[in-house]
Amino acid sequence: MSSEYALELCGVWKKYSISEFFHRSVREEIVGLFKHKTGDALSKDEFWALKDVNLALKRGDVVGLYGANGAGKTTILKIISSITYPTLGSVAVNGTVAPLIEVGAGFHPDLTGRENIYVNGTIIGMEIKDIRARMPGIIAFSELEGFIDMPVKKYSSGMYLRLGFAVAVNSSAEILLFDEILSVSDVDFQNKCINKIRELKQDNRTIIMVSHNLNLLRETADSIYLIKDSTAVLMPW
Amino acid sequence: MDIIRRVIRYRQLFIVLVWREFAVRYRYTIIGVMWAGLQPLSMMLLFTFIFTYIMKLHVSSYPSFIFYFAGLIPWTFFAHSLNASIPSLTNHYQLITKIYFPRELLPLAGITAALLDFFICAVILFVFILIYRIPLTWNALWLFPLIVLLVVFTTSVSLFLAGLNVYYRDVRLASNFLIQLWFFMSPVMYSVDSLSTKMKLLLFLNPLTFIIENTRRVLLEGRGIVLWQMAFVCVVITIFYVVLSRFFIKIERAFADVI
Repeated sequence: MSSEYALELCGVWKKYSISEFFHRSVREEIVGLFKHKTGDALSKDEFWALKDVNLALKRGDVVGLYGANGAGKTTILKIISSITYPTLGSVAVNGTVAPLIEVGAGFHPDLTGRENIYVNGTIIGMEIKDIRARMPGIIAFSELEGFIDMPVKKYSSGMYLRLGFAVAVNSSAEILLFDEILSVSDVDFQNKCINKIRELKQDNRTIIMVSHNLNLLRETADSIYLIKDSTAVLMPW
Repeated sequence: MDIIRRVIRYRQLFIVLVWREFAVRYRYTIIGVMWAGLQPLSMMLLFTFIFTYIMKLHVSSYPSFIFYFAGLIPWTFFAHSLNASIPSLTNHYQLITKIYFPRELLPLAGITAALLDFFICAVILFVFILIYRIPLTWNALWLFPLIVLLVVFTTSVSLFLAGLNVYYRDVRLASNFLIQLWFFMSPVMYSVDSLSTKMKLLLFLNPLTFIIENTRRVLLEGRGIVLWQMAFVCVVITIFYVVLSRFFIKIERAFADVI
């Protein structure tokens, strides 16, 4: 793994099970507690969510992932952010990752917007004093000045989204993952976000965006991968 | 050791999670943090009423309500920790499937919040000790290793059950019953002093028996700890911790796929 890449996925395969029960797997864990085991064979109710995915991103790359529902886009993001682990293959990440599989994950409804900025900021790896310093910028970006000390359970879904996005783009993470988050906001905020993404690119941050909206991806990304049949193919520009 | 290292690396998130646990619990309440002392205090009154005034039991040379309170404090910490940590992973499935962080932070945040309650109650206990002029001796310093044992034991059990609950939700349903059973197996409202050796051995299978009995012994009776017992319990609890935390780290990787 050379460090010239911010992010490298080599021959990544991911197996999922369709059964709702995981009895076998916990037993496996207990048995395998003191030994290592890999499985590349599929049993009856398993399928490959990813097959031999290869991706390599340099610092400052903005890459789009495009594909139908269930093609495996989010699984790729989850593997990059080590929420889940590949069954086979290797992942190398150089730098801190801010995963935005879902904006505002971890917001607590009873806490105010300001308090949730602290929670969400530390979740994506910021320091408390760092968050305090960036607080005015985050609030200004979210355009929620008048509502920031209100519990977020009273927020609309748009306000929720703005707050989450504002925290993420103002973090110091070197790699940012955006899953389908621009498609829900209004046009003004969407444009603001697109500008912010360009700004982040100037700042040499690496960004992966997932979207169903090809035009949006074309506007922001350097290259777009089509995720189809559980594997990633570079789309001709 | 692994777990300690991971918590230190993610300490900022850990601090915020503990603060959140505390803030959310007492938000929109009138008496707020006073709830921490209220529950053991009301149990204490109940026990004193039943055992001292109705059943006319004589449990200690010092006021019996202090006897009950001293047992209730470690017990309440243990029970609250289990109650907070067992559903902590499954309640936060939105976080677990969306963001990576060491998963043990969630149960540990619940345990730490319970530990803060524990210290609030400990202050109340010391006020009682001062008011009733119970003589403190140097043996009271044994309290600190006892608290460490209590926390390590509680952490091991909590991590194990919280992790298992991700796979089998039976754990959560069984936990109420389990905690109740455990309560009667721990010397909170009785003392093992007057029991036969056979019964004592049976009850000492539960590490909490050792911890609760000795808390009273060193703090209220001014006696020392039997060293070989202390060493034995230390070894048992360490083994417990190593095996159960290793189990947790092993199954933690699959939480996002299973939950």
